[in-house]
Amino acid sequence: MTEFLETKVDKFTFKVATDRYYNAQGVWVLKEGSVARIGLSDFVQQRSGDVAFVDVKPLGTALTVEDEAVAIETIKVTITFNSPVTGNLVRINPAMESAPEVINQDPYGDGWMAEIETSDWEMDRAKLMDAPTYFVQMKQEAEEEAKKL
Amino acid sequence: MNETKPKIVIVPCSGIGKPYGTVSREAAYQVTEDDRPEDTQLIALSLLVLGDEEARQAVAANPSITIDGCKLACASKMVKESGGKIAQEFDVLDVFRRYRDFKPKGIAELNEDGQKLALALSREIELVVDMLSSSSNPEGGSNA
Repeated sequence: MTEFLETKVDKFTFKVATDRYYNAQGVWVLKEGSVARIGLSDFVQQRSGDVAFVDVKPLGTALTVEDEAVAIETIKVTITFNSPVTGNLVRINPAMESAPEVINQDPYGDGWMAEIETSDWEMDRAKLMDAPTYFVQMKQEAEEEAKKL
Repeated sequence: MNETKPKIVIVPCSGIGKPYGTVSREAAYQVTEDDRPEDTQLIALSLLVLGDEEARQAVAANPSITIDGCKLACASKMVKESGGKIAQEFDVLDVFRRYRDFKPKGIAELNEDGQKLALALSREIELVVDMLSSSSNPEGGSNA
């Protein structure tokens, strides 16, 4: 069962799942065998707003770290997210087409976006943050956002 | 004896600060003021929140159409809280998903796409209004 680090900033509560890695944009990576499942952190989904559309690169796309992998369009903004790993895009969550709001409802579970067959995981992992490290970054970002309110 | 025709209640989002709330209200104005004034009446969500008796009676006695600007769904919740029956709930985000080219921006004043989205939403609401009106109108083929 997934465990979470949790913080409250202003009136908002943000969770960080401890069983995965994160890039600086708040894209999480959950490795299962050679496949990396990716999604958005709770903080990113809350900050972005209700997701209206998700555009994932086509299946088979060869991605390197920092290549644009996903674009989401919310009621507030359109944001692109880079791939946190190198490899081929092998699966897209069907819900991204039919019910993209699942990202808001369950960002660490059913709201996963895509799966990538990794080709250089050890190298990629070295550039990612573990949950406690991301938690610190996320909290700082959340506090900065709160100051703007 | 003149009998007042019951009117379908339209309750839009009252949220401020986001274009989707504005879209919901613009669509409601389009329906209640311009396109179906004889069949509909606009009820301000704030009146239901305040417990205004006239507003509560209106939603309790007539079918309601709610237009929510976000997932909090305040309009739908307040109509239910006020004893009303919702004939149709609209969520602006769902409507936007059907009209992706109409990206609303602006709050006090919507951009052109926002106005188009409001108009598209109003057309969907009017279909429901027409259906409800015809089903409650003896001349419209109902057994009532």
